[in-house]
This record gives sequence, C-alpha cells and structure tokens, in this order.
Amino acid sequence: MTRLLLPGMEGRVLGERGGLRVVELYIGAQHPASGHMRLIVYLDGDMIVRVDPDIGYVHRTVEKLAETREYVRVISLVERMTIIDACNVTLPYVEAVERLLGVEAPPRARYLRTILCEINRVSSHLYGLGLGGIFLNHSTMYMWAFGDREVFVHLASLLTGSRLTHTYPVFGGVRRDLPQSFRDEFEKAKRYMLRRLREYDKVFFNNPVIRGRLEGVGVLPREKAVALGATGPNLRASGVRYDARMTGYAAYRDLGFEPVVGREGDALERVWVRLREIEASLELVERALRELPDGPFIDERYTRAVPPAVRHWLEKGRLKLPGGYVRLKTRPGEALGRGEMGRGEITYYLVSDGGMKPYRLRVVTPSARNVVLFDALARGHTLMDLPAVYGSIDYFPPEADR
Amino acid sequence: MAGSAGGDRHRSRPGLVRAHLEAIATAARRLLEPPMTMPIPDYGDARVPGYRGVVLFDYDKCIGCSLCAQICPARAIKMYRVPGDKRLRPGYNVGRCIFCGLCTDICPTDALSESIVHDRVYDDVPSMDMDPVDWAVWSRRVLEEERKPGRPLLRARVDPERGLVYERVDAEGGPVAEEKGEER
Repeated sequence: MTRLLLPGMEGRVLGERGGLRVVELYIGAQHPASGHMRLIVYLDGDMIVRVDPDIGYVHRTVEKLAETREYVRVISLVERMTIIDACNVTLPYVEAVERLLGVEAPPRARYLRTILCEINRVSSHLYGLGLGGIFLNHSTMYMWAFGDREVFVHLASLLTGSRLTHTYPVFGGVRRDLPQSFRDEFEKAKRYMLRRLREYDKVFFNNPVIRGRLEGVGVLPREKAVALGATGPNLRASGVRYDARMTGYAAYRDLGFEPVVGREGDALERVWVRLREIEASLELVERALRELPDGPFIDERYTRAVPPAVRHWLEKGRLKLPGGYVRLKTRPGEALGRGEMGRGEITYYLVSDGGMKPYRLRVVTPSARNVVLFDALARGHTLMDLPAVYGSIDYFPPEADR
Repeated sequence: MAGSAGGDRHRSRPGLVRAHLEAIATAARRLLEPPMTMPIPDYGDARVPGYRGVVLFDYDKCIGCSLCAQICPARAIKMYRVPGDKRLRPGYNVGRCIFCGLCTDICPTDALSESIVHDRVYDDVPSMDMDPVDWAVWSRRVLEEERKPGRPLLRARVDPERGLVYERVDAEGGPVAEEKGEER
C-alpha cells in the first residue's frame, strides 16, 4: 500500500476501481478543520464512500468523576463538557438533582435561568456559524460571528460575573439576581444583533459562493433524521417539530415557546435554522425580562440557614450558601434531566443511593448523537463538501467525548 | 421567525449579480468602522461589576470552618496547619482555581472575597500554590494593585450601532473624560 502525503493530511492508497484510486485519508487530529478528532475518509476518486469519525481524543471521564464528587461540585464539572454553552449544559443536571432533593426553584430563578440559557444559545450559534464560515474559507463570517459573540459573552458576564463558565444555576435557584444595568444593555444588544443578522444574510447566507457550497449538500431527509436520532437544529432543519424546550422546563412553558422548523434538510437549511433561532432567542429573552416575576432568586429552605453576618449579600442580589449545602443528601431514586442546548437535546440520567454523591450519572450530549451524521451526510459528496457538512452540523468534540 | 413553517429562504433570494455586489458592499462598509477589540496591553480591562477573578483571603476574618475546601470543585483550596494556630486554615492554589466563586458563596464570615483580577503572571509553578499566610499577604497585594492599576482602564459597554465599545474608567469604575477613551 502506498503512503500518500497531502498538506495537513495523511493517507494511503487502498487500490484501484474503474481506473480511479481508492484512498483512505486521515484528516486530523492536528488538522485545523478537524477539531479535537480525526476523520478517516474513504475516497473513490474524489467521491466520499465512507467517513469514520475517530472520536475520544478529549474524553475526560466526566461521568465517572461525577461519582466521586458531592452534588454541588458536579455542577462545575459537567459545565466543562461545553463551556461555550455553560448554562444549557448544567441546567438539566441541576433540575434532575432538584427533583431528588424535592426543591423547586422560585419563579424568578426559573426566569433568570431561561434568560441565561437563551443568551448562551445565541453565543453558541454564533460560535457554530463562525466555525462553519471559516470551514468554507469565509474569514469575514468567522471574524464577525466571533466578534458579535463577545457582546453576548459580555451580557452573560454582567449577569453571572463570569464570561464562560458561569456555574449559574444551583439547586433551589440561581447565584445572582438580575443586575440593574442588564435590561438596558440587553435592549441595545438586541437591536445590534437584529441589524447584524440582516448583514449576515447579505454577506454569508445569500452570498452566491456560500449558497453554491451549502445548497443541496448533505441533505438529511425527515425520516432519516428521525431514524438516525439527530437532534437540535439539525433535526429541525429536516422539518421535525421537536425541541426539548417544548417540554416546558425552566420558564419555557410560561413564555409560550415555539421552535423554529425548517424544511429542506440540507446544509443551508441548518444554517438558516440557526440564524432564525438567534432571532427567536432574542425575542424570548426580551419576553422573559418583561414578565420577570418579583421574589427571591433562591429557595427559602437554603437562605434560612445562612449566617446573619453574611445575610446582607442576599439583599444585594448575591447568593450566600448555608454550610450544609456541600453535604446535601438526596432521596434514593432516579431522575431524568432534559434540556435543549445550542446543539440539541442533552439528557442526564441520575441514580442516587441516598448519599452525598451521585451513584451514577449518565450523560447523553447532543454532539454524541449528531456524530452519526458525518457518515450519513457526506457519502456521495466530494471531499470539498466535507467541511461544508462538518460546519453545518456544528459538531463539538469536547461535548461528544465528555 | 419562531413558529413559522420555515423553508422560506428561497423567496427572498436576490439575483446572482446583485447578491455578489450586496455581499461585497456589506463587508466593505464594515471596513470603515473601528475595531471591536480592546487595545491590550496599553489598557487594562476594568471588568464588569461583580466579576469573578482570583479569590482573596482575609486571615483575621477566617474561623477555620473548612467549608471552602469542601466545596471547591477543583480542589484548589486545601486546609493547612499553621504554626502557632490551633485551627486549620485554607491555602490556595491559583493554578487549579477555576474561578467559580463557590468558596466565597459558602464562606460564613466574608473571609473570602473575589477580586476582578484573573490574569496575573507567576514566576514559577510552586509560587501559585500558597499556604494560608502567603495567601493572605498576596491577597493584600492584589487588592492594592486593584486600587492603583498600573495602566489606564477601559470598560466594555454594549452599543446598538457598534456592538461593544470601551470607555475610560477609574479604579472605582467611575467614568473618566479623556479624548483618547472617547475615540475608542
């Protein structure tokens, strides 16, 4: 077998078919467009016959580590799976533990969680759009999306004090109350982003070059999307009206959430769904801010035990925890947490034996479910279409590998 | 918009030449606008109010309850025996800290607090691992630096036209009127 060296890639010739070489090509794990993974691509001439995603390069044993830590310490552990979507990834875990603890977050906390979730979703989609852009050599989209994402990272840091790893939802509530300046800053950010989305349409979405690269590429028919278990915007772009937010967790039921649904199921439609979801998220945050109920931002069960010397922090909108919070014990049993992240549905299955640590925490992340799409969508396309397919799936290896 | 049937992307599709021109014109218009990035290192980042940076320790307020070491998700805080002190006191490894701030949330006496600094430089790895006394001394130094910053500070603010803009502020976060800051 002959070795084949291409820029940034390695491959070998497997044989010949119809006068064309059949090549096995290794893209990654150091290739800039492969992420923390390797794609093994089998090519017949220039046509992809099979793609094997070689995953696991960033596996950090999150599930096992969770069994060795107290419940509250697991929050910032699971956050590390997707730090760019921190509230969405921790919220279902927090809700699952709350179910076992028998606490419920007060209405204000549920709204605040929703606000941060949607801000995270906007920044997650912008991150995906930026990477999708640079995969197609569209540097402008990359720079613009990452620059505009900074606006939403700024909003999140106003609310939580941290740019990415917020550790915002905790059992029984959230860690900070809404700061005074937030409404005003969000109002400006929304106006800015809506204007920018129109520019995105012109420079990227309706750009004939991008259309040529994305339209009709990696078509995922509705039935196949369901059969493969695709999730998130990838599923909705194929015309399936499903979103974990429809289950009405946090404040989504009160806000009357409606998902964005596409039709065609090609790469362009997946980008379209993300762009329209940014609009929908901005709308949701605005509605949540308008209807934000008054009241405490954490359950009274925990604030009652806070020492009087530090109670003044609670009035200033900052959380103070009682000493017993580290050693919280849940009732023995099982709980399921579901939530919609930027990339799709995340599921936590939590088993408790009544101790201070989870007995078992099973996590199914959206990227772990979407990884099958690499093979399913790229087959039959040319090698040049592979970055377009990758960019449109918005796959995030650290999230899938856990 | 949310809830719509979707797939209306073809309806608004402009002609080929017009679409090309629109893309180029949109990108070109942005060329004239100032950058959105912060001019580091000439300026420092003033951070938003309540920013979670490195954790500061006040030895006198500490009661040695060890709750901070118990809640720390990264095991950055460990309890140490200090000569001449009956109780265990927390020591801090900045290299391990993930700046979650849970220790300051659970501290029953406000002995721990958050600074707005997280990007400090350390001489070597061992100097990042501090025992309680080192930590208390170091915390005072960080606080002083916070009060007297070595370079002018800028604070980010959302602008409906330009995304993020930066304005000059003093160490307390009050606005400073200076032509250079306005320009940015």
